[in-house]
Amino acid sequence: MRGLSRMRRASSMALGLVLGVVVIAWPTRAPAQGVRLSIEKGFGEKVRIATPLFEGSGTGLADAPGIRDVLMFDLSNSGYFDVVENVEFVDDVERDDRTTGRIDFPEWLALGAEILVKGEFYAGLSEFSMEVTVYDLEQGRGIFARRYTSAPGEWRVAVHRLSDEIVKRLTGEDGIAQTKIAFVSNTTGTKEVYVMDYDGANRRRVTRGSQMAIYPDWFPDRTRIAYTSFIGPRQELHSVGVSSGDTERLTVFPGLNAFASVSPDGSEILMTLSKDGNPEVYRLRADGSGARRLTYGRSTESSPCWSPDGRRVAFVSDRSGRPQIYLMSSTGGTGERVTFQGYYNTSPDWSPRGDLIVYTSRTEGVFQICTVDVETNEVVRLTTGPHHKEDPSWAPDGRHVVYSMKSGGKSDLYMLDIYEMEPVKLTSGAGDYLSPAWSR
Amino acid sequence: MRRVVVLLLAVAFAASSVLGLSGCAGRQPTEEPTVEPDVSEDASALTGEDLPLPDVDDTVYVEPLSAAFENIYFDFDRYDIRSEDEPTLQGIAAWLEERDDVRVLIEGHCDERGTNEYNMALGEQRALAARRYLVGLGIDASRLRTISYGEERPVDPRSTEEAWAKNRRGHFTVSE
Repeated sequence: MRGLSRMRRASSMALGLVLGVVVIAWPTRAPAQGVRLSIEKGFGEKVRIATPLFEGSGTGLADAPGIRDVLMFDLSNSGYFDVVENVEFVDDVERDDRTTGRIDFPEWLALGAEILVKGEFYAGLSEFSMEVTVYDLEQGRGIFARRYTSAPGEWRVAVHRLSDEIVKRLTGEDGIAQTKIAFVSNTTGTKEVYVMDYDGANRRRVTRGSQMAIYPDWFPDRTRIAYTSFIGPRQELHSVGVSSGDTERLTVFPGLNAFASVSPDGSEILMTLSKDGNPEVYRLRADGSGARRLTYGRSTESSPCWSPDGRRVAFVSDRSGRPQIYLMSSTGGTGERVTFQGYYNTSPDWSPRGDLIVYTSRTEGVFQICTVDVETNEVVRLTTGPHHKEDPSWAPDGRHVVYSMKSGGKSDLYMLDIYEMEPVKLTSGAGDYLSPAWSR
Repeated sequence: MRRVVVLLLAVAFAASSVLGLSGCAGRQPTEEPTVEPDVSEDASALTGEDLPLPDVDDTVYVEPLSAAFENIYFDFDRYDIRSEDEPTLQGIAAWLEERDDVRVLIEGHCDERGTNEYNMALGEQRALAARRYLVGLGIDASRLRTISYGEERPVDPRSTEEAWAKNRRGHFTVSE
């Protein structure tokens, strides 16, 4: 039953949220400061947080609004916080605080905030640094204070680190503000692999001179990306260094060398090869050697992905006549079908939490993003609307998903929270943005 | 002591294999790749098994001049050879029997409907179906390579039935 499964997920999330708060609230179990938090939240209730402008000095003084924008984006998109939207009121109270030299807790509470983030930054020529204090407004005291530094001009790095710290300390969960998304774009005229911050900033091309570079997948240490490269008359599997740009050939079998899925520990790769006469799922070492065939059959077996514990594989097979998603042991097997709604279900990605698989499902003629529960086979549709959406990929928090959607003749990347289901557009500008892969 | 040296060299060789420095992984694959084995000077002292070098097809394929090499076409979501395309494949097989030095690259293509990923597999199935048919007519499988372009290389970019039908194709190129 759809409602039951969601409730089960929801109550474990609520438990996590409450527990995260409770751990910090009881000094005997708190990791360090012994700070109490007076907040208890049920499922769906968010912590209300106020983010006044940080006080800045140095050459990058004007970056204060940008810093606040990034912080607000990170906190509201995490799914755990309601950021006070009326920044005029927020900045008024902040100005008064700076004049009096004291924090006017009742005024902040009157704005509806429960948590307050105050900061100062120095944007220097040799480094950027900021000192931030986070306050529990009900208790009228600080929860933690920290100093963050980054290379000059790269304040986004520092702010994302702060955001993840706030998420971790207040909820116990790992945030995604420091993660990256790899993707394919054709803005140079051919398809190449790119990387960007999870919020769409700092887009940069990683591969160069490719005829066509597609289907990126991260290695878990985030230093390399595996992808399929078309070289002359061949498909090859390559890996590319994200910083270095150096490429290495991993496989060059006849036919398909596609859909690489790097194992959670980075030591192996699943992929689709057709070298034995039919597209099948193979398992190889991460250097491309030792290919072992996992599926046998006369139908297409393709698009494999690992379970987070490395013990199972989800893949697509059209043995029933139409493409559907199956699960099997990562040592091979026939596989058990897991999608029973709809006639065209492809592109699986297994949640890092292990409970759900996100995939593309053709529903009433439109490709939508859905999740299927691994245990119960229950389906939840995450997207609506008339435009085709494809290639979903999980964030490491098992809560956010990125996918591409084609609208107005071009494709862009969007992310959503599987509980909120409100898409956030990450890319814009000329060209298509496709085939996203979220880093660990 | 000598045994330790041999062991250390074997470990070093194994480590350098993992790092991709041995013969199987080519360097700078974005240029025309040549697979050059990295032979260390102490090779005679090393233990370890030879791994097969990958079968890299360095052939250059070009558009065929002969009219025998027409495209074949496929029904939506299907990869079986249609009866109306059998004469084309028979003509190709006959031509290949006359010119046994020529190799063929069979490209499989799809229309834009369907997901990018699944279309890559479908394109390969189309190329493989054509290959199987030609092998069935007696052509040596080693002369026939396949590559799928999925929906990446349409000949007609429009979103009409007519365009889609043209894009669902098997295309043949031949070795120079």
